[in-house]
Order: sequence, then C-alpha cells, then structure tokens
Amino acid sequence: MNEKKDLKYGFFLGCVAPNRYPMIETSIRAVFEHLGAELFDLEGASCCPAPGVFRAFHIPTWLVIAARNITLAEELGVDIVTGCNGCYGTLRDAWYELEHEPELKKMVNEHLAKVGRKYMGNIEPKHVVQVLYQDMGIDYLRGFVKHKFKDLKVAVHYGCHIVKPSDKRPWGGEYECPTFLDEIVELTGAKSIDYKDKFMCCGAGGAVRTAVKEVSADFSREKLENIRDAGCDIIIDCCPFCHLQLDLGQLEANTIYKDMIIGKPYKIPVVYITQLLGLAFGIDPNRLGLVKNHDLKGVSPFIPIESFLEKVKDQLT
Amino acid sequence: MTETEKQIKITGKEKPKIGVYVCHCGINIAGVVDVFKLKDYALSLPDVVLAREYKFMCSDNGQSLIKDDIEAGLVNRVVVAACSPRMHEPTFRITCKEAGLNQFLFEQANIREHATWVNMNDSEGAYEIAQDHIRMAVAKARMLLPLEVQRVSVEPSCLIIGAGIAGMNSAIDLAKEGYKVYLVEKTPTIGGHMAQLDKTFPTMDCSACIITPRMVDVAREKNIELLTYSEVVDVAGYVGNFEVTIKKKPHYVDQEVCTGCGACVETCPVSVGNEFELGLAPRKAIYIPFPQAVPGEYTIDMENCIQCGICARPDICEPDAIRYDDKPEFLKVKVGTIIIATGWDPYDPTPLKQYGYGRYPNVITAFQMERLLSSYGPVLGKPVRPSDLKAPHSIAFLQCVGSRNFREGGNTYCSRVCCMYATKQARQYKEKHPESDVYIFYMDIRAFGRGYEEFYESAAENYGINYIRGRIAEVWEDKNQNIIIRAEDTLMQTPIELKVDMFVLSVGLEAVANAAEIASLLSVQRSADGFFMEAHPKLRPVDTLTDGIFIAGVAQGPKDIPDTVAQAKGAASSAAVLMAQGEVEIEPYYSVVLDQLCSGCRSCQSLCPFGAIDFDEFRKVAIVNPALCKGCGTCVSACPSGAMIQNHFADFQLNSIINVAVKQTSVENGAK
Repeated sequence: MNEKKDLKYGFFLGCVAPNRYPMIETSIRAVFEHLGAELFDLEGASCCPAPGVFRAFHIPTWLVIAARNITLAEELGVDIVTGCNGCYGTLRDAWYELEHEPELKKMVNEHLAKVGRKYMGNIEPKHVVQVLYQDMGIDYLRGFVKHKFKDLKVAVHYGCHIVKPSDKRPWGGEYECPTFLDEIVELTGAKSIDYKDKFMCCGAGGAVRTAVKEVSADFSREKLENIRDAGCDIIIDCCPFCHLQLDLGQLEANTIYKDMIIGKPYKIPVVYITQLLGLAFGIDPNRLGLVKNHDLKGVSPFIPIESFLEKVKDQLT
Repeated sequence: MTETEKQIKITGKEKPKIGVYVCHCGINIAGVVDVFKLKDYALSLPDVVLAREYKFMCSDNGQSLIKDDIEAGLVNRVVVAACSPRMHEPTFRITCKEAGLNQFLFEQANIREHATWVNMNDSEGAYEIAQDHIRMAVAKARMLLPLEVQRVSVEPSCLIIGAGIAGMNSAIDLAKEGYKVYLVEKTPTIGGHMAQLDKTFPTMDCSACIITPRMVDVAREKNIELLTYSEVVDVAGYVGNFEVTIKKKPHYVDQEVCTGCGACVETCPVSVGNEFELGLAPRKAIYIPFPQAVPGEYTIDMENCIQCGICARPDICEPDAIRYDDKPEFLKVKVGTIIIATGWDPYDPTPLKQYGYGRYPNVITAFQMERLLSSYGPVLGKPVRPSDLKAPHSIAFLQCVGSRNFREGGNTYCSRVCCMYATKQARQYKEKHPESDVYIFYMDIRAFGRGYEEFYESAAENYGINYIRGRIAEVWEDKNQNIIIRAEDTLMQTPIELKVDMFVLSVGLEAVANAAEIASLLSVQRSADGFFMEAHPKLRPVDTLTDGIFIAGVAQGPKDIPDTVAQAKGAASSAAVLMAQGEVEIEPYYSVVLDQLCSGCRSCQSLCPFGAIDFDEFRKVAIVNPALCKGCGTCVSACPSGAMIQNHFADFQLNSIINVAVKQTSVENGAK
C-alpha cells in the first residue's frame, strides 16, 4: 500500500508562513518526507504576489511577478506547490490566465526576457492539500495512519482561494460544499463538525485585515462564535493567512468585541492540516512544530494548543 | 400509360422553357431590393422565356399567374423567387400539378431569408445575393427531371409509448375511433405521475379520483392492447409501416393463475424504498406499486429479491403462481403511427448543495411533499417532517430549483407547473394546520392558466401564505434539525434569516433519463433542453420531423395537466388523420442504382442509416427500397463507381448549381 510515487515539487513558501508560522513550513516538510515526496527549494522566490493587493491595483504587474515565480519551478522541471491559499490563488489564476490568453503570455515573456527568463507553462501550480488529496490520494494516505484520535471534534476551515473560482480549481467545479479537506481530517479518526457558515471568510483576505482591522475581527468573531456553538475542540485550516487571522484574530476579537462575546473569551487551538496529519502518522511532535520539548509544552504564538495536545496525548502511544 | 407517365414523356423531350416569378412579399423583399430589376435579370438567363413579378406570389392571384402560363403552354419549368421552400414549396408544387405540370419541375429561390431579411440595410448586397439565388435556381431548373410521388398504405394501428395521462388519453381516443392501439408502459402500472399527485390546481380535484376512472377505461377498451412492464427495443420501417419490437419484462409471477390474494407480500422478508412513494415508504421485493394500480399484477423486483423461496411455498402461494425462472418475452407488432408520451423525470436537487437536499433529513422535494399530503400516501395525508415524524409548524418552499438557471448544471427553461403546485401544497397544508407559517420564496409567480391568478391571489389573501420574492443563498441545520434559511427579500431590499421546521424544494421537470435512447430508436430530434422536438413550434406542435411519429404531453416540454390532455388528444387526432386516409405520399427523393455501374462492393449497404439498401445476390448489385430510403445521400457520396443517383439531387443537377455560382464570380473579377 505504501508504494512510492514519483512525487517531486518545488516548494513555494510565501510570506506569512516563514515570517509568522515556521511550524507550518516544518510540518509540511516533515509530512511530505514521510510520504515519500521530495521538496526542492525555489531559490530567488519573491512575494507570490498577494492576489488581494497586487492584482487589485495592477494586473500586468501581478501576472509578471507570478509568472516569474512559476519559472523557478519550471527550471527544475517539477510542479510548484504551496501551503498557502493566497499564493495558490495567485499562482493558479496566473497559470490559468496564461494558458488561455496567448496575448498575455506574450506580454509576460517580453518582461521576463529582461531578466533572462521565459515562461513556458509546462508545470501546474498545486496546493499542499491538492497534492495530498489528488497526487497521493486518500487510500495512499490511509496506509500511513498510525494513531487515531477518538472524540476529537474539528472545525474545518477551507478558506477562499483554495475552492474559488471553481472553474480554475481542480475540484470538478465544486464550490458550494467541498469535502476534500474534511476527508483528510477524518483519516485521523477526528470528526469534522458541520458548523454554521463553514465557508465564510476568515476575515483577513482582500487586504481587509490591513485596511479595516475592526471589520476583519468582526468576521472572525462571528466565525468563532459558530465554531464554538457547534462544540468544536480545534480549528484545522490549510492557509497561513487564515491561520494568523483565526489565531491572532481570537485575541483581537476578545479585545475589540469584548461586550458582544457571549460567555468566555475565545481560546480555540488552531492547527495546520499537516500538523494534525503528521501527528496521526506518528511523526515526532517536535518536527511538526507542535511542542518545544518533550514535556509537550505547546508552541503557539497566540492561542495555546495545550488543550488539543491534552486531548490526543493518550492516543499517541 | 398513366396520365403522369404521359406527362413525363412529353416533358422529358421538351426543351426547357423556364418561367421565373419574383415575389415582392409585401415589402419583405421589394422593400430592400428592386424586384423589377431582378425580373429583368432573370430574363437574361439561359432558357428563361418569361419573368414576372407580383406582390404576393403565394396568393390566389399570384398562383393564377403561374397556372395560366403553364396552361397556355408558355412555360414548362417554374422558378419562384420568394421565401423559404419550407413555407411555400408545397403551395407552388400543387399549383404546378393543378396546371398539369409535373410538380418536381418546380424550383424555389429563397431570396427573403437568405437575401433581404439578413441584409435589410444593404440593398446592393442583398440584390447581388438574390441574383445568385435566382441564377442557381434557374440552372437547376434546366436540369430537373419529372418524378413520381410514391404512395404507401398506412396500417390502421398505433404504438403509444408511455401510459401516463397523455398516453392514456391518446390511446382512448384512437381506440374509440376504431384503431388498434399498443400502449406500452415501462413500469408495472399505468397512470404515470398524475397517479402520484394528491390534488390538482386550481380546482383542487382529487387527482386519484379523476385519473383512476381513466385507468379503468384504458383497461376495458377492447382496441387497446395494454403492455405494462414493457419497453420498446427496436423500431424499423417507415410512416404507415413501422415494425416494432417490444420487450415484455418478466414479472416472475404467472398472471394467469395468480389470484391477487397478497399473501406473498406479507411474508416477503425484503424491504426496499417504494418508487411510487418516492422512497418515503417501504415496499417488499414482491409488490404491486399502489392499491389502484392497473393492471393489479404482482411483480417480483429481481434486483432486490433474495430468492429465499418463501413466497413460492405452497402454504403461501396456494395457486402456485411464482415463477423464478420467468424469461422476458419479445413481441413484434406492425403499426402505422407512433405517439411518444414518455413524460418526465423530476429534477434531482442533490447537486445544488447549498439547499442541503440529501444532507438534512428535513429538506424534501415537492414531489415527496405531494405524497405526504396524499390521503392514500405513506402518512395518510397528515404531513410530518422526516426527522422526528412530527407535523411541522412552519414550512418554506423554494421555487425554480433547477429551473431558470443559466449556470452550469441547471435547466434554463421554466417548468411551468411549480409556482402553482407549490401554491396548491401550501394551501393544502394551511387547510390542515391553519396555525402554521408557510413561506414561498420565488423569483416571479407565473400564474398563467385559467383560474391560476385567482388561485394564487386567494392563497396570499385568504390563506395567509407568505410570498417572499428572493432566492435562498444557503440553508443549514440547527441542533433540533430545523432548517435555517438565509435569503434576500428583494422587495424589502433586506437580507433575512428564517428558521423553519421543514424545507421543500419545488423542483422542475426534466426530459426522461433515457430520452436520448428513445430519440435514436425512433430517429426523432430533441431540443437543446432535452425534450422531444416538435416539427414546428406554432403550426405542428404534435408532429415530429419523422413522418408518422407524434409527441404528446411533457415529453415535448413542461406543461400542466389540461395542456397535456389537450396535446394528447391533438396527437391522437393527427395520427388518426394519417390512418383514416389509409395511404400516404412519400417524396421520391430516394436513390437509384445504375446496375451497369454497380460493382457490388456493398459499401452503401453498410453505411445506410435506414437499412434501405438490399443486395441482389444473383445479379450482384445493390437495390434501394424506395419506401425506406430517406434521401440522405450517404450512399451517393460513398459509392466508389458513381452508380448511385439520388433523385432530384443528382450530381449533374447539383453541379449545374455550383457551376453558375462559381462562374459568375470569376466573370465579375475579370478572371476569364
């Protein structure tokens, strides 16, 4: 069952993971290695650039920079993979546009020629979750699961760019109610809980977090309220920017909307998908960026994840 | 020698004398191009002896012009430059025929659709195109040969596919007119969807009470051979003479000896969802679909039967009627006409995940609601919601589910009945539970039929049903399995959230799942929406483009019961016209084999889509059956030795058109 597949990718880090959540990067690296996939560094990678910011102001600039990033993986002859929905949105949308608009491709290559590069379009930009679900497949992943987490209730947060726009995504046109991430989560024995407005934005996207923090905190508050109502133990996401908003955003919501929150302030652990998956595979929690040392003291910049570790600790043996 | 043969002989010898008649078509043609100049142009063409123009060539006076010229011996070929031959070719052919000219010595140039209509603002361009069309028509007219129409007899019998309210009505009418009817129904009972309905709008008639007498009539009618649990598997032949093969699926119960006691049903250990109840109630593996089913025959559903043998035990089935080894039977019948009355399937809302169908138990379709409301349904007309079997205090309906949807996966058309059935169901529920809250979310209320607007007004005024104009964005379930709806009230211009106990999806009507199969079996066309296509949307609404085959009911497009019955009676009447005439004319566009050229390679035989080509083993040449040949020309283009000639579209005729079409251009360019 655990046969090796030809899994080689150029790893595009983006900005939020390296700057704020290195544990996301380390967990992706650990899980991919465990699954027999090889990740190559993309030397000279820049900002993706952010879809909500660059594209909103100047599409050609956005397209040229995105195309340049893709050429880094083209040189290595491997698909480009990212663990960030925003980077995924940019790389995949740009790739799609360049596939379908020869004029744009010509324009992009005129610019890239100035730095001695050429965009070919012969590789596909992929998301970490897409690689897990499609290149490897649920059955392949199942063969690696060592520990099953009973009674772990998970609020799955997809984020936006991984499913929309649906015609440029690999999920067969599905956008109302995808299940691929839930299926991966449930491999670990955890239960994905259906909560109200599951597909609502985390609040950060489209530069809302930067421009109007109160609004983005209000989004998060509503989302967190629904997650807590449904009785979830943790939040699982697949995007560092959502991760930041759902993690740091809890503190912000607790402060800005103190009077609106019914009950205690929010304190729901936020865990990246490969951290949970790695734990179920039996990978050392240290390598997944979950604990600082062997006394299982959790690493988490804003919301402690101890309650999560407490819940799964007994099932890790 | 017949009259026509004489004419052919004469015409064949005569030098062509062509008359060209340019029609003004009011201002449709004359308003764009100079018809007088066109007339003069026509006179300059070879073999044209006279040309005339007239305001309406199709009028009596216009036709008289042509007739007089023929009768005076001035012309022996006729070209009319007017509209599409689809409109008036038959008119002018009859004109020729009445004046004693073979009707196939007529040619029509379409200078309205092809020239003036499409170039309304370009008079010069339109004139040039009109010239081209007239020149080509004249070129072909010079090469025309007289042909003889064929007459074939029409079998006085009709095959009707589908025994819902449409098929049953067509069948009864035809049977009463004295024609033999083979009524084929794929399920074990007749009645169709109407038998599943509780009440009908706007009169609130009990559906079962008005359809069951019809079902009994069908069963009693001597001229109707009822073939339930059967399917048409092959159709050969042509108008008047179709040869149909029908597969009678095995019931696994000998109907001759079965007494219908029902002991087998009681003891059968298998329980599956009952199709008639849309899965809301169980049935056994041996069953009759519903109590009033016609015929009341028991059937074993072999997909689910575990062959335990209990029903076959002598103490259970005393007359020993169970036949596990029953085999399908094949029946061959000859019919003159066919009526397609295959009905519809409800739209499956599962792909529209935002509405939660299939995920939340209290989201149902309106057809399930119909069974819940039915006095002989699974809950005897006291609707409950599926999760806890309690009567809902509030219900919301959503209209246009899968209809009027221009995104991928939906149907773009309006299904025409959903506004009214939702209003009807809402009223029915309010009658039973006046204290309940009922909401209908709609885009537009389309209450178009007689009494429909009043019915809808009364629902809002007297029954207090809340009509909310707006689409529902999404729904979710709370802890008590109530459905929470998020929508926009577009009249109040405000987003709303509403909690209801049950959510009903007013799903539209779709072409039956195997419509493509039926279409290819019968060689009939389908429209882009999947329904069978009528020959003309206004004037031939029950005919198909295949002679002798008609459509009735929702098979042709969504419609309510009165319209369905009206169309069914129309289809029966059209079929009867053919059968009453006893014979039908077939255009002589069939292919002819030139024996001395045919090498006997049989290429044509394997390619013919209508099986019209036989092979003469003795002379080793192909033979065309003129009655089966549809004149598609496949064999002509395939024949490697040029031995196939298609009447009226022979190579020399088509080449004459091409020659003048091309030559004129090169002259103008000065290339010659």
